[in-house]
Amino acid sequence: MQNVVERVLNLLIYLLESPVPVTAEDIRQTVLGYGDQSDEAFHRMFERDKDLLRSLGVPLERQALDIWEVDFGYVVDPEKYAIPDPGLTEEERVALAVAARMVRLGGTNVGLEGLLKLGGAERGVGIEPLGADLGAETAVLGDLFLAITERRDLRFVYHGAERRLKPFGMGHRRGHWYVVGQGPEGERLYRVDRMSGVEVGEERDAFTRPRRFDVKAAMSNHPWEAGSDERITATIRFDPDVAWWAGRTLGVEVPDGAPLESEVPVANRDAFIGWVLSFGEAAEVLAPEEMRDEIRARVDAALESSG
Amino acid sequence: MSSPRTVSRLARILALIPYVLSKDGVEVGEILDRFGYDEAQLTKDLNTVFVCGLPGYGPGELMEAYIDGDEVVIDAADYFARAPKLTSTEALSLLAAGMAIVGAGQASPELESAVDKLAKAVMPDAGSAISVDVSGEPETLERLRGAAADRNVVRITYRSLSRETETVRDIEPWAVFTTLGNWYVQGHCRLVDAERVFRVDRIRQLQVVDEEFERPTGIPEPGVTYSPSDDDVMARIALSPQAAWVLDYYPVEVLKETKATTEILFHSPDAEIPARLLLRLGDGARLLEGDEVRARVAAMGRALKDRYR
Repeated sequence: MQNVVERVLNLLIYLLESPVPVTAEDIRQTVLGYGDQSDEAFHRMFERDKDLLRSLGVPLERQALDIWEVDFGYVVDPEKYAIPDPGLTEEERVALAVAARMVRLGGTNVGLEGLLKLGGAERGVGIEPLGADLGAETAVLGDLFLAITERRDLRFVYHGAERRLKPFGMGHRRGHWYVVGQGPEGERLYRVDRMSGVEVGEERDAFTRPRRFDVKAAMSNHPWEAGSDERITATIRFDPDVAWWAGRTLGVEVPDGAPLESEVPVANRDAFIGWVLSFGEAAEVLAPEEMRDEIRARVDAALESSG
Repeated sequence: MSSPRTVSRLARILALIPYVLSKDGVEVGEILDRFGYDEAQLTKDLNTVFVCGLPGYGPGELMEAYIDGDEVVIDAADYFARAPKLTSTEALSLLAAGMAIVGAGQASPELESAVDKLAKAVMPDAGSAISVDVSGEPETLERLRGAAADRNVVRITYRSLSRETETVRDIEPWAVFTTLGNWYVQGHCRLVDAERVFRVDRIRQLQVVDEEFERPTGIPEPGVTYSPSDDDVMARIALSPQAAWVLDYYPVEVLKETKATTEILFHSPDAEIPARLLLRLGDGARLLEGDEVRARVAAMGRALKDRYR
């Protein structure tokens, strides 16, 4: 490992200091650590080192050396290499470090490595009892973030079908990550953990984001508000012993011991019925009648298969 | 692929050099703390930096890096005056962490301004394109967080998730956390004299009691794992593909998986939770085994049919 670290540092320094792209052969002859290798060993080593640099955030580019695109060279533009300075104060870095220790993504604390690039932060003392697990794997979130910030097209598989999307934004809500964008058939919202085979397009600035786009507005508050069903308003009644709790979900204040009757906009009937039935017999949809029919059918089906 | 250790070692070196260069003398202690080094690792990394530089690799071309008394010195490394850009994963992770705490209404003013500045730097023209909403009621969270930090006992009126009953309990809160869209408080429950996890939105009333508790050491990582016990109600259930989301939300055991169905074993302290689940799934699930659950589904189903007559 010692040799790898030295070799890669030497390679990066050489690339940062070269005013013109340099060929692999040039690197092999010049940079300390590559000599005395067979052709094959050198190429394997060089490929691995390039991947390593890119994974560290180094913008290593391959450029043609002539208009016929016969020879290629490598270059790292110092301007593109350097982290833009967000101008954080030490107190702000400490606050970010504390937040990074509180939040988990993909099962681990993340963000602290990134914070080192911003200067790190001295560790505080004391117990921080608050924590948030945001689920999801970070690798795919990173890809989506790249596509959104650089306006690149996305391709992925969702529910078994190939999809294309111009991703405008992404967000976490109630335990899940979503990506929102423009698909061939209009604005669409996808749950990230149900996407697979995510591919980010080669082309930068492949689309423009609508000027007033706000991902919060595009992601609905409750699962039954996000859907492609015809929008209806359902009237629902909760018995007193669950009313306070349902009220919290709906954002309605319910006095102690009172029932709750509420009108709820629904765009995903299935999700709504699922939520209503999670209250067992303590909640009832009063209108519309078609939804009552659907619930009757659902209960009959459950009785049929499990009652 | 290079080993993760090589990657993180290089990442730390590339962050360390610009930091030291930007300062007019930095103490060893500060560097250890700030970059999470121990002294041996720091010495090793400085020795590595010391033998790297520009082609020629003579004394005039190499970087300088050493510990002088209690100061870290790095010189002749102008090409590393700035750290490398954040990768998209690093940028998103850091931003999401900050936004989650802001979203929970638990951020200090410093964190709020830090998130603003960071967002402007890593996505200058993507303003409102990222959001992290962890819901939760800021006031309740704040009180629970405060009680846990100050080791104060809290008295809660709690509606149990499985048994539809309300109890008043004194708990010693250790941690307040959110996962899969809900907030929980983890701690010692004095009513049952055992560790318990409570859903914050099921706490109807909350009162901080003027009594301190002893915080045990080695508190388990908070999480909503359910540990099965002998008194459990069991249900063997076949899920059709449209009900596969159940696997993400409930701590179930997968017994058999075919293209058409997933067979699971559902443990629960009583029949209530699996029965409700089966009702909402309709024909998306089939109960294969579990008499108590079957009886509960039947009773609940009848009651619902009465209501919807």
